[in-house]
Amino acid sequence: MSEKTFSVSRRRLLTATAAGGAMLAAPWAWRRAAAQEKPRELIVRAWGGVWVDSLNEGVSKPFTEMTGIAVRHDLTEDNEIRPKIWAAVDQGRVPPIHVNWDTSTNATKSALRGVTEDLAGLPNLKEMLPAATPEGFDGVPLVNMYSYVYVLAYREAAFPDGPPESWDVLLDPRFKGRIALYDDGIGFHPVAQIAGGGTMAGVPGDMQPAWDFIRKVKEQQPLLGEDPDFTTWFQNGEIDVACTILSNARAARQNGIDVAWTVPKEGCKVDTDGMWIPKGLPGNELHWAKEYVNFAMSQQAQQKWTSGLGLPGLRPGLTPPEDLEGDPAFPTSPEDFERLLSVPTRVLVEHESDWFQKFNEIMQG
Amino acid sequence: MASTIHDKGAGRPVGLRLLDLLEAARELLWPARMAPLTPWLFLLPAVLLTGLLAAGLIPLLDASLRPLDRATFRLAEDYALGNYATLATRPVYGVIALRTLMAGLIVTAATLALAFPYAWMMVRTQHAWLRKLLLVSLFLPFFIGQVVRAYGWLIILGKQGLLNALLDGLGLPPSSLAFTYTAVLIGLVQYMLPFAVLMLAPALTAVPVEVELASASLGARPFATFRHILLPMARPGIVAAGIVVFTLTLTDFAMPEIMGGGGNDFIASAVYDAFFQLGDAGLGAALGIGLTLVGSAVVGVILAFFGLGTLGYVEGREERS
Amino acid sequence: MAQATTAAAEPMVRLERVSKRFGATLAVETASFDLEPGSFLTILGPSGCGKTTLLRMIAGFIRPDGGSIVLNGRPVAADPPWRRSIGMVFQKLALFPHMTAAQNVAYPLKMRGFPRQGMAERVERYLSIVRLGGLGGRRPHELSGGQQQRVAIARALVFEPDLLLLDEPLAALDRKLREDMQLEFRRIQRELGVTTINVTHDQREALVMSDRILVMEGGRIQQAANPVDTYARPANRFVAGFLGVTNFLPGRLASLAEGRAVVEVEGTRLEGLCADPSLAPGAAVAAAVRAERVRIAGTGETAPDESDVEGEVVEVVFEGDRFVYELRMPSLGGIPLRLFDLDPLAHPRHAPGERVTVAWRHRDLMVFPA
Repeated sequence: MSEKTFSVSRRRLLTATAAGGAMLAAPWAWRRAAAQEKPRELIVRAWGGVWVDSLNEGVSKPFTEMTGIAVRHDLTEDNEIRPKIWAAVDQGRVPPIHVNWDTSTNATKSALRGVTEDLAGLPNLKEMLPAATPEGFDGVPLVNMYSYVYVLAYREAAFPDGPPESWDVLLDPRFKGRIALYDDGIGFHPVAQIAGGGTMAGVPGDMQPAWDFIRKVKEQQPLLGEDPDFTTWFQNGEIDVACTILSNARAARQNGIDVAWTVPKEGCKVDTDGMWIPKGLPGNELHWAKEYVNFAMSQQAQQKWTSGLGLPGLRPGLTPPEDLEGDPAFPTSPEDFERLLSVPTRVLVEHESDWFQKFNEIMQG
Repeated sequence: MASTIHDKGAGRPVGLRLLDLLEAARELLWPARMAPLTPWLFLLPAVLLTGLLAAGLIPLLDASLRPLDRATFRLAEDYALGNYATLATRPVYGVIALRTLMAGLIVTAATLALAFPYAWMMVRTQHAWLRKLLLVSLFLPFFIGQVVRAYGWLIILGKQGLLNALLDGLGLPPSSLAFTYTAVLIGLVQYMLPFAVLMLAPALTAVPVEVELASASLGARPFATFRHILLPMARPGIVAAGIVVFTLTLTDFAMPEIMGGGGNDFIASAVYDAFFQLGDAGLGAALGIGLTLVGSAVVGVILAFFGLGTLGYVEGREERS
Repeated sequence: MAQATTAAAEPMVRLERVSKRFGATLAVETASFDLEPGSFLTILGPSGCGKTTLLRMIAGFIRPDGGSIVLNGRPVAADPPWRRSIGMVFQKLALFPHMTAAQNVAYPLKMRGFPRQGMAERVERYLSIVRLGGLGGRRPHELSGGQQQRVAIARALVFEPDLLLLDEPLAALDRKLREDMQLEFRRIQRELGVTTINVTHDQREALVMSDRILVMEGGRIQQAANPVDTYARPANRFVAGFLGVTNFLPGRLASLAEGRAVVEVEGTRLEGLCADPSLAPGAAVAAAVRAERVRIAGTGETAPDESDVEGEVVEVVFEGDRFVYELRMPSLGGIPLRLFDLDPLAHPRHAPGERVTVAWRHRDLMVFPA
């Protein structure tokens, strides 16, 4: 379809040029021609390691094969790209990327700020589970693509009697100095709330149990890092237990590192990631960015991409990877989700910064 | 190429005619009557650079006075001191600031203590091979970036690192230095050492070896010579090296980030977290302003205490004797 | 040719067979000498002769490979500098720029544990000995070159060391100041009676200041004698050439008896003195005569105790107190000869190309092994 449009527009353009000033008389034709002209490349922000590899295999490569548009992955941290996009939109500049692969929480912050394009018209959106579309917005400022679980990852050799049953294991003196969390505590706040004796009803109103539990964890001298750190630390024998996203633990295991994971009795935090397109792109680039996001929702792309990540996609009818079939950390049915801890995105948007700050305060104190 | 130039054929060599051209261009841009201003012209880049830095502080100051609006994730339009209040009331910032300042003091003292004998040996040795060895061992890590070096330290200090392999071999209990404050300090001292040595070496070169010999012949033991002669005469270098090491430590990000295991953040980490984790540019700017103030205050106190002369501006003439 | 003069009194300094090697270079070879209390010795030699190494071994900055150094009856070769009672003035003076003149002078007193009481008076006394009274509050850079010299001297002497070492402290000064300071050093040294060793490559300085001169070359002591003897009776060809302006006439020894030698230079027989009885007739020798001992004589004017030789004027220069003639000596195989006429106002000036007869006394011709 694109090729056809292009050739037509080209012919129109040539005719217009031949007719001299006729181009001035047909501005609409010119605009339309420009709108669908293919850009040389699309820039998609992604996370490194297993994340970008899966995206490339599942989405970007097939997209390039289909359209001929190269896809470049920008590995700037999601937190670092956000202010750049915000500044670009504020100043009316062209944003630095075409598609942002982002946590749903951060994506929602951008949506609230009004820097996201409306994705409502994308054909594949109809095929996705309802959870793919965020609530409470006019239009669709972002599309959630898959959910993921912050599991309790552990070194098998340290647990000869089987996987730990409770997050209390973090307080075991045996593991003092040998546990790890994300450096802002992301994925751990609700878990701490339950492990500390509180309930999900207390989020965000009464989170004292969570902070008490995190204070006890602090006494255990945890290492604090980001995705790639967990793999390194497991590999170097620095840690035995960590709270990290399943994909990291699975990637480490696939690389021959002695790592397994479990969903303890308190549950694990489940969350979603999505994609959105910043405002301010030239018309044709916006068009192809939307094509990219639409393609990411296709059966083919969802299957390959989310299998690579080891995460359940938000499109019905996907086949789970063999090693994760029936794994409680790979939720597919409503019962699976029962066991997990989910915090509404609106609550996260409003309070997560405070939780980060509070977590930081405890850990740096 | 050459033929086209000869075609115009004034017979003068190409090089000279090129010079004529440059000369004419200079006359156009900077006429001869401006000559008295020429020395100031050379100052211009420095002034521009400093001015740019100072100008950069203005938007920072502006942002620091505008608290974040959580509903839109924009900074408020009206000025308020909310961000500074946050800094003052949240104890975590006091802890981080104190930790950073302490690191600045400890790292500066330790680096100077190690760098001084190193620089002295490098300057004074009679053996060319030893001087070369010292220089190479100084520069080799200099070319390896801070991040790579930090990871190198982790290989040494890690739970299954070289240090513990050594301790284990000696039948000693393992250490757990990696991801501690001590590890951050060790990494910083090693990172700062070349800077300090490079700033001390010229200062020590400026102290004639005869002065040390004279002191010894007048009855001073080596430590007395160090204390009464070398230390005061090398003071410009020591103060300059101290200021550089202190400010670099104060503003360091990578070392605490990588070697601190997440629990030993410095002010720069807090700035990063504010900007990117919390998305609160106002708070980050307030932290940045605070860091700038603390650093400037310390350097100001040092300069006020030792005088500008310590940088060699006033007493430089003395070296003539 | 190391010489040891035995002094009647216990020597203040005694060096015995002191040697130092740097890699393959022998810097000082078995140097021995004694120095009487209160005397002024100059070690003279060209650069690289080992004089500075010798001085630094005495000061304690360099440890000798072998031999002994005895200072005031005590062996010190193994002692560090701060344990030796030696004051030293360096070529670059090495004043402490961050201290005042008085603080510089007080430094050795503090370092050597002198009582605080009376220290200020003592510093002031030594400052006035070097004629810097009242300038103690100045920093070195506020003093002239000569004044800085005086501070350095006062600092080296204030603790009343057994020995004062001067490491070419005057070398960097301009000529006028240098000559003034030479006399000034000598005055202070006599006034305080401090035993002194001076190192220099300046023969005039050595002659002016010293009681005794030690000439060094190639790491060896060539001669140790008082200035007059060193000049008048050089021990060997090197010393003869290093001090004064000396003409060397290469030849063969014809005969030698009781110190009187006859030398044949290109067929001309010349009489002279030779101190080396081991020389046999036929040996290759260098006959030496100082430029100021040669005179231009009228024909037949020469005395019986003089040699006379024909020469041709090549160049003549008037220097105020002298004519300096450059001659060519056809009868001596055409070798050049330099001649000082020290009474230029009384004598006519001979022009280039003129043939003249030159003469010198037999006893002024010194014969050395070649």
